Amino acid sequence: MDLFLQLAATGLVVGSLYALCALGWGLIYGTTLHFHVAHGAVFTLAAYFAYAGQKLLGLPLAVAVIGAILAAAACGMLIDLFIYQPLERRGALRTTLFIASLGLLTLIENLLAILFTPDPLRMDVGWLADAVQIGPVFLTRLHLVSVASATLGFLALMAFLRYSLSGRAIRAVASSPEMARTVGIDLRRVHLLTYAVGSAISAPAGILVAMDVGVEPYRGTTFVLLASVAVIMGGIGSIPGALLGALVLALLENLGVWKIPSEWQSSISFGVFLFFIVVRPRGFFGRKVQSAEI
Amino acid sequence: MTAARPPILSVRGVARAFGGIRAVDDCSFDVQPRLITGLIGPNGAGKTTVFNLITGFLGADRGTIRLRDRELLGLPPHEVQRLGVVRTFQHLRLWSKMTVLENVLLGCSTPVGENVLSLFLRAPAARAEERRAREHAMEVLEFFGLVDRARELAEDLAYPEQKLLSMARIFATDAPVLLLDEPTSGLDAESLGRIVPMVRRLVEHGKTVLLIEHNMELISELSDEVVFLHQGRVLAAGPPAEITRDPALTEIYFGV
Amino acid sequence: MSAYLAHFLVMVGIYAILALSLNLLIGYSGIFSLAHAAIYGIGAYASALAALKLGLGFWGGMMVAASVGAFASALVAIPSLRVAGDYYVVASFGLQVVVLAVFMNWTDLTNGHAGLPGIPRPNLFGRVIDQPFEYVFLAAAFAVLTWAICRRLIQSAFGRVLQAIRDDEIAAQAMGKNVVLVKIVVACISSALGAMAGSLYAHYITYINPSSFSLHESIFIATLVILGGSERLAGPVVGAFVLLAIPELLKFLAIPDTVAAPMRQIIYGALLIVFMLVRPEGILGRARAAERSGR
Repeated sequence: MDLFLQLAATGLVVGSLYALCALGWGLIYGTTLHFHVAHGAVFTLAAYFAYAGQKLLGLPLAVAVIGAILAAAACGMLIDLFIYQPLERRGALRTTLFIASLGLLTLIENLLAILFTPDPLRMDVGWLADAVQIGPVFLTRLHLVSVASATLGFLALMAFLRYSLSGRAIRAVASSPEMARTVGIDLRRVHLLTYAVGSAISAPAGILVAMDVGVEPYRGTTFVLLASVAVIMGGIGSIPGALLGALVLALLENLGVWKIPSEWQSSISFGVFLFFIVVRPRGFFGRKVQSAEI
Repeated sequence: MTAARPPILSVRGVARAFGGIRAVDDCSFDVQPRLITGLIGPNGAGKTTVFNLITGFLGADRGTIRLRDRELLGLPPHEVQRLGVVRTFQHLRLWSKMTVLENVLLGCSTPVGENVLSLFLRAPAARAEERRAREHAMEVLEFFGLVDRARELAEDLAYPEQKLLSMARIFATDAPVLLLDEPTSGLDAESLGRIVPMVRRLVEHGKTVLLIEHNMELISELSDEVVFLHQGRVLAAGPPAEITRDPALTEIYFGV
Repeated sequence: MSAYLAHFLVMVGIYAILALSLNLLIGYSGIFSLAHAAIYGIGAYASALAALKLGLGFWGGMMVAASVGAFASALVAIPSLRVAGDYYVVASFGLQVVVLAVFMNWTDLTNGHAGLPGIPRPNLFGRVIDQPFEYVFLAAAFAVLTWAICRRLIQSAFGRVLQAIRDDEIAAQAMGKNVVLVKIVVACISSALGAMAGSLYAHYITYINPSSFSLHESIFIATLVILGGSERLAGPVVGAFVLLAIPELLKFLAIPDTVAAPMRQIIYGALLIVFMLVRPEGILGRARAAERSGR
């Protein structure tokens, strides 16, 4: 039972990180329909920015983290501005855009690997690494911060989308770009905003993971693809869905280890995904998947 | 009903809602074989939705759609086509980067060539089939007056010719029921003179035509039967003279 | 022929098969797969195990490889292609991850990280293919075979349906084409051919381990296809040649090994971005209609 609770707690922590990544990716995908795998690069860059801020510039951790989040948001916007928007202007196919995104992910990860070596780099997290015991479960304060961040991030995003003017513009575009254009919404600006918000909300995930186990160049790829699984499970276009999908995925992965040898852990996500698209392709909360938009 | 034959296509009590909006609501009408039936109504009446329901691109919430005695609802589009109902699109959806001939060839029957195993194991049969298909395609192009354009890309055709091509390719399928979605929209008077006779000739060849049309004059001229759709329901069905002269319907149609 | 050049040509041949087969998916069907390295690996392991554990010869091993590859692909294609292309990308990623996990963890079968040594050289009609230049012929023969198969497919009614699906899938459905089935068939053929390349590889290098079949490798193969030009059949072959030449050229620049691998990836990534922006049809792009009717 203790083991079960420990695994569930770990699942919750990992789920929080997946959730932050999924919320950002899902927002971007749901609004722009770009399969933005380079989101993994933004996730990784956020971690390196935080590392560089603390270790190279000597900034206090909090400042480095905030700076990193802002820098990541800027990176997301730059990617849209200089790569995706030009491609769309040329009438590029969605596959073309995906390929460019994949190229960008590969380029950035490997550039970081050369600049910083592929080995994990450790940050100073101070008292965040202290262990905390809740009942029979052991976590670190950093883990608790992760869960809190995901909760806050989710609530903030929901509030933003519901109550702010920009948020509603994003929702309009996500629901129907054609209609949004007719009511005078500038699609390019909304896309840029979406990339800024989406990147900003996923950046903390990259930073938190880095603070826990070290900064690495290649982790982003795995995270972004898991995020896409979570978003599909949750239902494309649904923010709560992305959160739920991420949590369910992480819990299944971690609890699965109870019965399945740990080296097969990564296969669990895949199995879950296949199961989902056979049984319920629209995910938990998604719109009914229409095969034709006529 | 003007004819006493059993209908070839029978729509009964079909309903489909999107969110809160009932696009089609308790819609019922018949399509008689070897006649032209016009589906008319104001914008947003649900005409294209009806086409999508018949051809399997949309599922219905209620009702039945029968082709002779086969239920069409619930079948995927390619199955509906195989059973004998084929459609054009308002926005044409031609394969623009393929040639005119290829567009029509895709309507011709090439089961051997389309099956990978038979393609390799029965190569001579595949070649013979391809030859026959090309002959048939050229005949169809001849029928539609597009033979000279055979090797051009679909996107390079003038708009009226593209409209003819979209009809040609469905005609090539030999399907008995043809659904034409606004076959005359966007055409000038001269081009109409090319398209309208073609629609008549389709019926002379034994086809059944259901068409969506906005031009009231054309409807009177072309259709043997008219179905008037409004807010997803059939308000009236009958010969064109009856429908077009009904003041209540005219009012609804023109929103006066 | 020097052993170095022979080796280069054999690898170009094998990668040409991988690129041609992946091109059926990406170039002709518009479906992106991130799992082609996994399929390559499945072919290699299936063929190697067939030889080592079942004593099957070259042809037997190759048939086992193609079958297992096609089956693995079908498992993933069937549920995901029913839904949408983007789902297939994610599913293919999942397949790549799981297959690699199987290679690394099912140690009883695959020997895990240590890999499988001692794979026998092919024995064709009583003659063992041992010399480098003999292998060049073998690889070239299979590359030509793959090219011929792809060409027959593209220039047939089936190929016409593929292009229609890529141009406008909804129109294809309305005209009676079972789009999902066609895509699944293409995925299986693509995988059977990719697995065949794996079989060739296994019996050539005579030792395989999981690291050759990673996600990076999948991205590399996709890069070959995309850069070479996915619209002409010669494109993937050119892509294979060019991209395999790059690492060889890099060697002349005396770059330290630790940097060489990520450096190659940076070049591939940069090439992908530049090409998508400037010339998405690839090096040899163009004239799909012309090629299709054999003009």
